[in-house]
Amino acid sequence: MSEAVAAAPAARPRWRAPRLAGLQTLALPAAILMLWEASGRLGWLPAGILPPPSAVAAGWWDWAFGRDAFGLNSYSGTWLANVLFSAQRVGQGFVLAVAVGVPLGVLIGWSPLAARLVDPTVQALRPVPITAWLPFCIAVFGIRAFGAIFLIALGAFYPIVINSAHGARDVGRNLVRAAAMMGASPLQLLLRVVLPAALPAVFTGLRIGLGTAWTAVIVAEMVAVKSGLGYVLWDAYYIGRMDVVIADMVSIGLAGFLSDQVILLVEHRLLRWRQLTRG
Amino acid sequence: MASPAPASIPAGAIAATRVSKAYGDGPRAVTALDGITLVIPDGEFAAILGPSGCGKSTLLNLVAGFEAPSSGTVTVFGTQVGKPGPNRAVVFQEPALFPWLTVWENVAFAPSLARTPRADYEGLARELLHAVGLQGFERHLPDQLSGGMKQRVGIARALLMRPQVLLMDEPFGALDAQTRLQMQELLLQVWERYRKTIFFITHDIDEAILLADAVYVMSARPGRIQARIPVTLPRPRGLELLTQPAFNALKREIFELIRGH
Repeated sequence: MSEAVAAAPAARPRWRAPRLAGLQTLALPAAILMLWEASGRLGWLPAGILPPPSAVAAGWWDWAFGRDAFGLNSYSGTWLANVLFSAQRVGQGFVLAVAVGVPLGVLIGWSPLAARLVDPTVQALRPVPITAWLPFCIAVFGIRAFGAIFLIALGAFYPIVINSAHGARDVGRNLVRAAAMMGASPLQLLLRVVLPAALPAVFTGLRIGLGTAWTAVIVAEMVAVKSGLGYVLWDAYYIGRMDVVIADMVSIGLAGFLSDQVILLVEHRLLRWRQLTRG
Repeated sequence: MASPAPASIPAGAIAATRVSKAYGDGPRAVTALDGITLVIPDGEFAAILGPSGCGKSTLLNLVAGFEAPSSGTVTVFGTQVGKPGPNRAVVFQEPALFPWLTVWENVAFAPSLARTPRADYEGLARELLHAVGLQGFERHLPDQLSGGMKQRVGIARALLMRPQVLLMDEPFGALDAQTRLQMQELLLQVWERYRKTIFFITHDIDEAILLADAVYVMSARPGRIQARIPVTLPRPRGLELLTQPAFNALKREIFELIRGH
């Protein structure tokens, strides 16, 4: 109660502060968009290469809601379907990466034997960029969905396994000893001490891994499959629809941002103990 | 987990027989403990007093089973110590609470590991939380508590295990002077009530005399037990003891023992 009373005089400037901060945040993007639009209208930019924001918005609108008119615009109305194609591949690949990466990472971090058996192989394969795996994927899986999913899973797997291992390795010795003196079995130690203690690091891995998954899906769709945001991106570039290319780039960014927010939401739920103590 | 000890092993709650502990090998080996022999009787509050680096925490780790001796044997109620186990509860210097569990869940961690029905421990858990002054904090998280409160959770957690012996590794060493006094008083009250054998590591002479039935003075490098000094001051004790002549006389005796070597 006394705190609320004491805070009352400071309330007015606090109400203003966020509004000002919001304006400051939006200032630069707004300036860039206006400059871009103005340059386009004044004819300073070649419209075929860099269409102004208004043209991008119009192209995007048609891509999202347009009716396929006599096959003249092959993108009309296909936006949602392509977003879902990509999101589904990211989802499948990411779930696969989590299902393998988290248990394996925790095991590597916790058990010296598991580290000796598995870690060198993981570390040896890791420097091969996921883009370099693409021809291999197409050769093995062909132009089929699983080639893309494999690539996505592989890209997401590395950060997940490495961060999970890191988290499990850094579990405080005293916490392990405390559990041991209370009679914890090895399995109980793993599930009730090591895993929860590693969870913040695991989530760091999940967020980085999801970013890699979106990179991988775009690369895979550009080359290996005939649907999704990556496919449209390359196809639109090829036929000179730069408005669709830019709308596609923004769509990928939005999808990546939203999926990251989902992970953050789960993290906030599961790691509530961390927020409580940091507020 | 633990095997029956040979007949030659002395009785007592905690017994160490010619226990040595060295780290590393060859010329680089460091001897932490050298030929420790001691017997702590059942129900005794034993304070192991020594300067930092004398190996007193190592000795506790051997009794707890966190480490194994290089030679010699450690027994608890006649059973040779192997792995850590719930008959030897430990209160750590850093509280070592699980930060993702509430106070209640931390205190009840051992019975939950053993899948003990809640009804079997709930009464004692509430009583212990009351005894350490934490009733009403059951749903708090460790990081919402002060250092002294965290240590009290650690004590309640250890006692809820109904251990044979309670091992305390400088539990108040990281607390400020005033909180330390409060915690010492609280431990005296709790001990009056439960009368467990306590193996209490400290570098604080006042703390050792105030709390213990006997002070085991250790010397450093290599760690050896130098003397066992009984503390016959009457119980129940309180902080007023700290200024009494009998207390000071004992303090002088121990101080000279430490300085003379």
